Amino acid sequence: MAQYDLTPRIAPNLDRHLVFPLLEFLQERQLYPDEEILKAKIELLSKTNMVDYAMDIHKSLYHTEEVPQDMVERRAEVVARLKALEEAAAPLVAFLQNPNAVQELRADKHYNLQMLNDRYQIGPQQIEALYQYAKFQFECGNYSGAADYLYQYRALCTNSERSLSALWGKFAAEILMPNWDTALEELNRLKEIIDSKSFASPMNQVQSRIWLMHWSLYIFFNNDNGRTQIIDLFNQDKYINAIQTSAPHLLRYLATAFIVNKRRRTQFKDFIKVIQQEQHSYKDPITEFLACVYVNYDFDGAQKKMRECEEVILNDPFLGKRVEDGNFSTVPLRDEFLENARLFIFETYCRIHRRIDMGVLAEKLNLNYEEAERWIVNLIRGSKLDAKIDSKSGTVLMEPNHLNVYEQLIDHTKALSGRTYKLVGQVLEHGQTQATR
Amino acid sequence: MLATVDQMKNAMKINDWVSLQESFDKINKQLEKVMRVMESDKAPTVYIKALVMLEDFLAQSLANKDAKKKMSSSNAKALNSMKQKLKKNNKQYEELINKYREHPESEEEPEDEEEEEEEESDDSEIEDPTKLDVSDQEEGSEVDEALDSQESGWKLKMSKKDSLLVKQFRDPKEATWEKVNKWFKEIVAARGRKGTGRYEQVEQLTFLSQVAKTPAQKLEILFSVVSAQFDVNPGLNGHMPVDVWKKCVQNMLVILDILMQYPDIVVSDSVEPDENESEKGPEYAGTIRIWGNLVAFLERIDAEFFKSLQCIDPHTRDYVKRLRDEPIFLVLAQNVQDYFERAGDFRAASKVALRRVELIYYKPQEVYDAMRNRTFMDALVSLIYKYGDERTKARAMLCDIYHHALLDEFSTARDLLLMSHLQDSIQLMDISTQILFNRAMAQLGLCAFRVGLIAEGHGCLSELYSGGRVKELLAQGFSQSRYHEKTPEQERLERRRQMPYHMHINLELLEAVHLICAMLLEVPNMAANTHDAKRRVISKNFRRLLEVSERQTFTGPPENVRDHVMAATRALTKGDHESAFNAIKALDAWKLLRNKDSVLEMLRANIKEEALRTYLFTFSSSYDSLSVDQLNKMFDLSEAQVHSLVSKMMVNEELHASWDQPTRSIIFHEVEYTRLQALAFQFTEKLSVLTESNERALEAKIGGGGLELPMRRRDNQDYAGGATSGAGKWAEGGLSFNQGRQGSSEGRSGYSGRAYGMGQGGGYSRDRAGLVRGAGGYSSRAARGSHMDGSGRMVSLNRGFRS
Repeated sequence: MAQYDLTPRIAPNLDRHLVFPLLEFLQERQLYPDEEILKAKIELLSKTNMVDYAMDIHKSLYHTEEVPQDMVERRAEVVARLKALEEAAAPLVAFLQNPNAVQELRADKHYNLQMLNDRYQIGPQQIEALYQYAKFQFECGNYSGAADYLYQYRALCTNSERSLSALWGKFAAEILMPNWDTALEELNRLKEIIDSKSFASPMNQVQSRIWLMHWSLYIFFNNDNGRTQIIDLFNQDKYINAIQTSAPHLLRYLATAFIVNKRRRTQFKDFIKVIQQEQHSYKDPITEFLACVYVNYDFDGAQKKMRECEEVILNDPFLGKRVEDGNFSTVPLRDEFLENARLFIFETYCRIHRRIDMGVLAEKLNLNYEEAERWIVNLIRGSKLDAKIDSKSGTVLMEPNHLNVYEQLIDHTKALSGRTYKLVGQVLEHGQTQATR
Repeated sequence: MLATVDQMKNAMKINDWVSLQESFDKINKQLEKVMRVMESDKAPTVYIKALVMLEDFLAQSLANKDAKKKMSSSNAKALNSMKQKLKKNNKQYEELINKYREHPESEEEPEDEEEEEEEESDDSEIEDPTKLDVSDQEEGSEVDEALDSQESGWKLKMSKKDSLLVKQFRDPKEATWEKVNKWFKEIVAARGRKGTGRYEQVEQLTFLSQVAKTPAQKLEILFSVVSAQFDVNPGLNGHMPVDVWKKCVQNMLVILDILMQYPDIVVSDSVEPDENESEKGPEYAGTIRIWGNLVAFLERIDAEFFKSLQCIDPHTRDYVKRLRDEPIFLVLAQNVQDYFERAGDFRAASKVALRRVELIYYKPQEVYDAMRNRTFMDALVSLIYKYGDERTKARAMLCDIYHHALLDEFSTARDLLLMSHLQDSIQLMDISTQILFNRAMAQLGLCAFRVGLIAEGHGCLSELYSGGRVKELLAQGFSQSRYHEKTPEQERLERRRQMPYHMHINLELLEAVHLICAMLLEVPNMAANTHDAKRRVISKNFRRLLEVSERQTFTGPPENVRDHVMAATRALTKGDHESAFNAIKALDAWKLLRNKDSVLEMLRANIKEEALRTYLFTFSSSYDSLSVDQLNKMFDLSEAQVHSLVSKMMVNEELHASWDQPTRSIIFHEVEYTRLQALAFQFTEKLSVLTESNERALEAKIGGGGLELPMRRRDNQDYAGGATSGAGKWAEGGLSFNQGRQGSSEGRSGYSGRAYGMGQGGGYSRDRAGLVRGAGGYSSRAARGSHMDGSGRMVSLNRGFRS
């Protein structure tokens, strides 16, 4: 199943720290040999300051107590640097930790800076130091601290570039904590900036959007409302364009979101077209499933794809999130996905059939005969399906729904009288103004 | 007559060309008289002598630069006209003159003879022989003088100078920098002046370059040599002689060698070098600046190469021979590019890279493999994207698209096209880029067809074909326009834009692909909309052809591409996929395809599917139910395929039917309207059109400015129509319904003129309006007319494309 693993394609668009959860997940699923993952982790950590963690992994990987010299050196270096930065940022940190002092801050940035400068001797250097300190904290894995400092830094910072990168940092920190609600706020803030800001080159803007979408995956699949929000975000023209040009693998998540989301039918049709268009650049069982049902009307194929989809979902770090419930764990998204996918198939199938054998239907839906019958009866009762069951021959009969000719005619002409009336009104009005002139 | 000769001599002495010219005319008239009287066909010697004298004097005074400068303007004018007249005149008497030149003395000696002649000539004016003698001697000495320095008299003054040069530098060691420089300056100054022999100048300069002292000077002279070589062919239409071209390339290579050898020498055209910069020898430490523009030279060489290919008849050996020169040029270009890259001038390098790309992009894989591989192209193109200017980038992009399309990478090519947004800006570019764009689109269409994307292929090609000016749009020949004659000027311009033969896209194949695409889309469409055939036209062009072929009382066996496709169409409308495919297969153009078999296989599958669709549309009313097995057998399709196709039709509500799963058959629903109902529908439709036009009329009245727009509209009428069908089709293709809609609504708000589409069926009059906006932009630029609207069509196509 490793062929459908998107980690190698997603990882380059993430922050180093954000890749950890993915690797953890992969380790758990055992798609790859443990050693490889551990090596990847060390590789990942080598650029961060989480040296202790790297040492632990090293030990477990090579089953030794020895730690390579460069790691030890790096550790000392990191500690030293941490000290230095702490000192540099100390005045400001002290100020911020004093609740009385903080109350003196106002909404006006310039006033604040002035005030800090005058009364606490805190100048631009200290503020800059705060940023560096926060960044260092983040690198060390102390996300909550980093998030706090960055928040305060943003309140004081005047440089918009810096402010933006602080925002990215805060966003990452919130995701890693994990603090979904705040992260969502940060996400919206970032999105606003990206959409409104004029970038030097369109490439940068697209790149930012791609990053944003990748990072947002953490939030959307961990949030109750996320499935709607992901559609709202990804399906915007600018974002879907970015997906099509640079990151077609994101289509998997959008497709899943569309399947498990019962509303959004209007956008869904357009999305099918996108999938069709991108078939050459990206496909996996989930998009193929949609293509089967909505483009080729190949229901047997859809059936097969559905089974593959299950695997894909279980192995995807975002989609296959587990919920521990007592002794056994479930993947809520999988069940939901399957249920909806079944409904999709059935819906389309019914639309083009007049008479369906219940046995075949049950088979297609992965249900037994009794269940299928119950399921259909429920649908009919809920007036979602205009059909009747012929229990003697064991078939479902669809009611043809053709619009009455007269109704159509009325539809066509309904608006005409209104429009003409309006027209007359305009003519009269025009005549009057001319007469008065 | 003799008196006139005398007058001429006097005039010569005082260097008065005006009177000299008069006397010359006079003597010519007298000659006529004399000849008539003497009834001989041999011109008198006096006359010949005068001619020789004149000629020498002319040569002398022409050579004498200073004197020439001193002359008054009328004098100088007379001198020039004299020169031409003399040349013309002397041709007649060439033989005599030569004879005279060979024996000037012998002519002089038998003076009596001369006198006799004169007397015989019965001229009224009998001259004093002594006077004549004097003047003759005078003249003789002059001739001698001239002969001294001249090897033969016929060559004009340049050769004289030439030999002087050679004399001066007979021993190259003697030549000093100053001397060379002096001569060099002089020759360059003569450039472009009347009477400066172009070949001679090249020769002289080449000679000078051999004796040049410092590398810098050599470079300087070589640059002049190259530009002098460019001057050899003055006209814009003709091309540079091939041998000169080759020499030119050689010179460029020498220049590059020198530049490589002495990296201190900097070539640029922005700095004005000081007078004696080139004096600095190779030992000189600092940088030496030389005026020159390698890129311009290279581009010129390329242009000349291109032009020569345009002019040479492609069916001759010469053409092939000329094509063989291409590698030399490529090597040169590569060297220049390397040089620039080393020098860090990436802008220039990108320009050179573009030239290379343009030589390579149209070559199919086989030819290409012999040279290099795709990565090479990628490297060049990415260099250009990085450093090139707008136009360079656009052209490189188009070449890249073309090349991808050639390699059957449709999606890559399409993405490139869409991402570059070239279709929006192409109408603002120069014509040759527009042609390149059209070529890229044509190739893209072919590519789409090869990979089986019929709708896309048709979308790309229909724009090209909608105006019936394919040849012109692709610059592969001329097409006659019925409505307006082209001015010679336009024709010449067009001729200059032509593509050389080896770059052509085969038109027969292109037409076949276009028509087949149109057929596959249009036939089921027509079958689906039998009641109002005018309603949704996918390909106007195809419809027109079909009408023509239907009007024929007798249809013979197919001969050309159209006949074949029409035969296939007739079969297809009946659902007879077998004979439709056979008619198509018989086309000659297929052998031009690389993967002929797979393409034909694809075509067969497509024809089967469309035949099935057509059959169902046409005959569904005759059936109550139809089993899948039957269809399988009839159309030789697998059950899954049939199921999928029919399901698709049901979902799109093209076919009013549904499956009966237990019996595996299609049940058709009765949805036929009665006549009354159908009429009622038509009536409501008319009503809505009426309302709409009312609204527009009012808008025009109230909104004002309604007069100007319809005018503009009429101008663009013809291709707006074509464009609509294109855009509509794309929408059909399932790519861009949204976009099309948007476009049309935008257009509607912008358009407040009277309803134009009244009679044209309300259905798409709105869409038409949508395109006005796009069209209006360039209607004012009438000068660029034909090509503009060609690309305009492309633009509208791409609106659909972008979805």
